[in-house]
Amino acid sequence: MGSNRNISLPAGITYKGGPAFLTYMLHRVGGATLFIFFTVYVLSLLGLGSMRALMNNWLFLTFILIFGLFHVINGLRISILDLWPKLMLHYRGIIQVEWIVYAAAAGCALFLLFTRTFGG
Amino acid sequence: MAPRTLPIKKRGFSFEVFMWAFTRFTVFAMYGLILAGIFGALIVSSKTGAGFGDILYWAFFPTLAENPLGQIGMTVLAKLMVIAFVLIACGHGVHGVLEIWDDYVTSESGRRWARNIVITYAVAASIIAVYVILTA
Repeated sequence: MGSNRNISLPAGITYKGGPAFLTYMLHRVGGATLFIFFTVYVLSLLGLGSMRALMNNWLFLTFILIFGLFHVINGLRISILDLWPKLMLHYRGIIQVEWIVYAAAAGCALFLLFTRTFGG
Repeated sequence: MAPRTLPIKKRGFSFEVFMWAFTRFTVFAMYGLILAGIFGALIVSSKTGAGFGDILYWAFFPTLAENPLGQIGMTVLAKLMVIAFVLIACGHGVHGVLEIWDDYVTSESGRRWARNIVITYAVAASIIAVYVILTA
């Protein structure tokens, strides 16, 4: 069952796959981030003080918002392209729209987080 | 260039096809639950006078906040929705983590161990989450 991939990490990181590859990589990072968030969430539900503190930590929340929001918005794009495959012809434009939506959503979320954290 | 697509009827039924459908189903279920939760919280907020943010915060962190909903029916419904969301998100996440893992661990035994560990973890975490939310 094992695959025969023989690609080094530097070669993988420097692969010039364009915007589609970048969204693919960020989607994975976002998914892993949300999995960490899920773990912290369950542990904070259990009453672990350190996990509750982490849930209120602005740096942790910033990290979750940046990558988690990308995962959510990119997932929506993937679902839309799955439902309407003809839109694949315009995937570069759709990715550009996705970046605009993401920037607006992440900007609003981070603004609210920072004003709550640092006052304003 | 026309997009390369394969009709669902011609895809057959394999583990990959099943997991593809499962992942998509869970995504749509999560989007649906998010929308239902937002609209539900808005409706309950307008009816009971409880804060919209307070309702959502309590729904996800029932052990950290006071229940702003006086009615038992609404409380049970909100808890069931959050439990459904947590279980669906966990199922979706397990598949995602395993897919990433499969890309970097190529040996058969390594993949088998990864699957056992991740699935066991997800089941245990789900049971804990459901128990805490129900009993809070």
